[in-house]
Amino acid sequence: MTAYSTLRFDAARCTGCGDCMTACAVAKTGSDDPGRSRLRVLPGNTPGTWEAAVCRQCGDPRCVSFCPAAALAKDPETGTVEWDGAKCVNCLLCTVGCAYAGIAFDAAAGHVAKCDHCGGNPACAAACGEGALEWMTTARIYNEVGQDEDLFVPGLAGCQGCNTEIVMRHAMRRIGPDCVLATPPGCVPGMGSVGYNGMTGTKVPVFHPLLTNAASMLAGVRRAHKRQGRDVLAVALAGDGGASDVGFQSLSGAAERGEEILFIVIDNEGYMNTGMQRSSCTPFGAWTSTTPVGERGRGKTQDAKNLPLIMVMHECDYVATASTAFMEDFYAKLDRAIAAARHGFAYLHVYSPCTTGWRFPAEKNIEVARRAVECNFVTLWEFTPEAGLRFTRDPDRPRPLADYLSALGKFRHLGADQVGHLERHLAENVKRLRGLAREPAAA
Amino acid sequence: MSGAGPLSPTVPASHPEKRGLLRMTPSLRPGEADMAAVLEKKKPKVIVCDGNEAAAWGVSLANVDMVAVYPITPQSSLVEYVAKFVADGRLKADIVDVEGEHSVLSVLQGGMLAGARTYTATCGPGLAFMFEPYLRTPGLRMPMVMSIVTRDTLSPQSVWGGHQDAMSVREAGWIQLYCETVQEVLDTVVMAYRIAEHHDVMLPVNVCHDGNYLSYGASRVELPEQADVDAFLGAKDVNWHVALDPTRPMGVDPLTGGAGGPGPRMFVKYRKGQCRGMQNALAVIEEAHAEWNRHVGRWHAPLIEPYRMEDARFALVTLGSMTGAAKDAVDEARGAGVSVGLVKVKTYRPFPLKAIAAALAPVEAVGVIDRSVDFGFDCGPLYKDVLGALAGLPRRIPARSFIGGLAGADITVGHVQRVIGEVAELAASGTPGPTAWLNERD
Repeated sequence: MTAYSTLRFDAARCTGCGDCMTACAVAKTGSDDPGRSRLRVLPGNTPGTWEAAVCRQCGDPRCVSFCPAAALAKDPETGTVEWDGAKCVNCLLCTVGCAYAGIAFDAAAGHVAKCDHCGGNPACAAACGEGALEWMTTARIYNEVGQDEDLFVPGLAGCQGCNTEIVMRHAMRRIGPDCVLATPPGCVPGMGSVGYNGMTGTKVPVFHPLLTNAASMLAGVRRAHKRQGRDVLAVALAGDGGASDVGFQSLSGAAERGEEILFIVIDNEGYMNTGMQRSSCTPFGAWTSTTPVGERGRGKTQDAKNLPLIMVMHECDYVATASTAFMEDFYAKLDRAIAAARHGFAYLHVYSPCTTGWRFPAEKNIEVARRAVECNFVTLWEFTPEAGLRFTRDPDRPRPLADYLSALGKFRHLGADQVGHLERHLAENVKRLRGLAREPAAA
Repeated sequence: MSGAGPLSPTVPASHPEKRGLLRMTPSLRPGEADMAAVLEKKKPKVIVCDGNEAAAWGVSLANVDMVAVYPITPQSSLVEYVAKFVADGRLKADIVDVEGEHSVLSVLQGGMLAGARTYTATCGPGLAFMFEPYLRTPGLRMPMVMSIVTRDTLSPQSVWGGHQDAMSVREAGWIQLYCETVQEVLDTVVMAYRIAEHHDVMLPVNVCHDGNYLSYGASRVELPEQADVDAFLGAKDVNWHVALDPTRPMGVDPLTGGAGGPGPRMFVKYRKGQCRGMQNALAVIEEAHAEWNRHVGRWHAPLIEPYRMEDARFALVTLGSMTGAAKDAVDEARGAGVSVGLVKVKTYRPFPLKAIAAALAPVEAVGVIDRSVDFGFDCGPLYKDVLGALAGLPRRIPARSFIGGLAGADITVGHVQRVIGEVAELAASGTPGPTAWLNERD
């Protein structure tokens, strides 16, 4: 089943101000009468809470099946249920079919009206000052990239629900076959991408560098092809340990020299392939197999190294952070990173929740990735030397950190003092980034 | 002397230089008419340079595509010369100024896998830092060339010459060639590419030249003609067997081995292939030296050089620049009626077991001079290897280990005279004494 972009309503953030309804009315009718909005924010069952009544753009829409005139139809491209005024016979049967109050009679207009997502740029979400309404664009990207060739074999041996495999497959779909791929030891080759005993798991030239030298080897690969007049993209899919710890020297050296490399770090906050040991990207307080919890041990006692920010200080041609919960953002950055890697060092840091090492159910992976961003545990931004640093998602009004920490077994033991430390650290991090940012976050 | 090629164990015994490092390699084997014709035809360009500059000339003549550099004493001036040659446009190579020796070799591995002919040089702590990619180079059958400007290892802290660095990696799978003279450094760097890239070999080569004594010792050097070198080396073909190239996509170095399935036999196949490449190298090294002589008109002994071994009652075995002083001492001893000869080892890995056994078979005692230490056996490593060669002979030949020239110390004619005296006694007694340390009372 195809997934589509959609409106997301977060009741916990809604204050009932009604700005969304006014914006909808203006956008759709020209009137600022919130009564004409196609979205209704209504008091919830509990006093002080709010609910949103709006078209769900159902997969199997009842309004469509109830309509005797074929005036309603689900657009297979956008997923939006579209109303066609030329066919409508004003029987209102659609309003009977919908259980969500997603389509209603607009007396002033004289016909039914429903949300059409404003063609992919909904006015309500833009008007919401609380972040309660958001346009979630994740889905469309799958429709766009679905036709790109998957450059890994089926059945890579990642853990169930592995986020790293998602990053690998999407990144390589976009990069395409005219490249050389380095996968330093870790989960990426561990799941079989380079292969075993004479067989390979990848359709492009792929190799095991050492844990220490992916950036150096790729520098040689890129330069040798360039000498031969060929533009072969040099790509690394590296873990955080190989990049931030033992591989950091070669990474820093290649970045300083401006080697033409696309270096993608898949950050699962530790040596997960080797048995979930601590790396310098492991966050404060986290359980790992080398920062165990016991009588005295309370997890890692140091904050994570901020590797992407360190790469910014190298003045790389492109640096960005990304998350698989925000795929359009990820793809947009991937495109810019690919372009940058043809003239300089491009660095992409993708956060990759690890179901095995972080101790949460496999099906929660994208949810964990999303909460990490919503709680500012992970911030999404990009940097170029020309434009400076820019948030691609506003870090204002984060969700409570507890929403993220409570989802993960590796933080189960945290005391209030440790949570407080993390909160202060994350706030400092946002403050530091904001100090570097030259322009406000993208809308 | 075993193997093919126009070989002669004899060279003129007149060497006026006081120090071995200034010794000239004889250009031609005497009495060969076609070689005389070559000499007649070619008026070589002559320069005066040290071993580090000579190596850089070799790199330039070999048309290397990619050089990665990082400075370390006593190698630094070598990479400075290479950088200057690139800056002057003489050498049209990519020069990569990396952040350490680990990346030096790593950049070159990437370049080689994408088709580049590569070069670098290091020594001592730099070689130690490079160890991780160094170990991998022969296993991936990478035909790379790296000079080791030999230096003693830490600690005690030291920046001076000694073979301990190269000796510490002697079982890593690289071919190791030791040079005696500055001229031999230049010639061997070029020859190393023909050896490394030979399809029967496909292994990396270390061209070792002694820190201080060869790195900084200046000498008369003949520059080969570029056209002769080009004809000698032929076309580059470094990654026909393994490549990182989208037109030939492959998984390079997948996990191989394990306890079951096809892994164990695949791993054995690769390891045995590596051993076969090393053994093939013995003949290829001989062929390369013969071809160098044919194209350039200069002869160097490829595996070992027996010197005044005719009718020798006992023999010295040497490695590297110490050979110059040792030859002088042998000449003097011969002049005094002592029947001593010398076997210089040029090809140390693969170890030319048969050639050494054949050269030493007639003698009554052997003294091996090492510029490094084998800690496990309380002797010199070359000595231990020579014992291995002697063990295969039907008659027991007593041998003794001598260690000298550590951390920059000189091995003088006087030291070698002492060795000759000890070996003469050994020939009489048949009972080797313990390892002798030549500079212990300097």
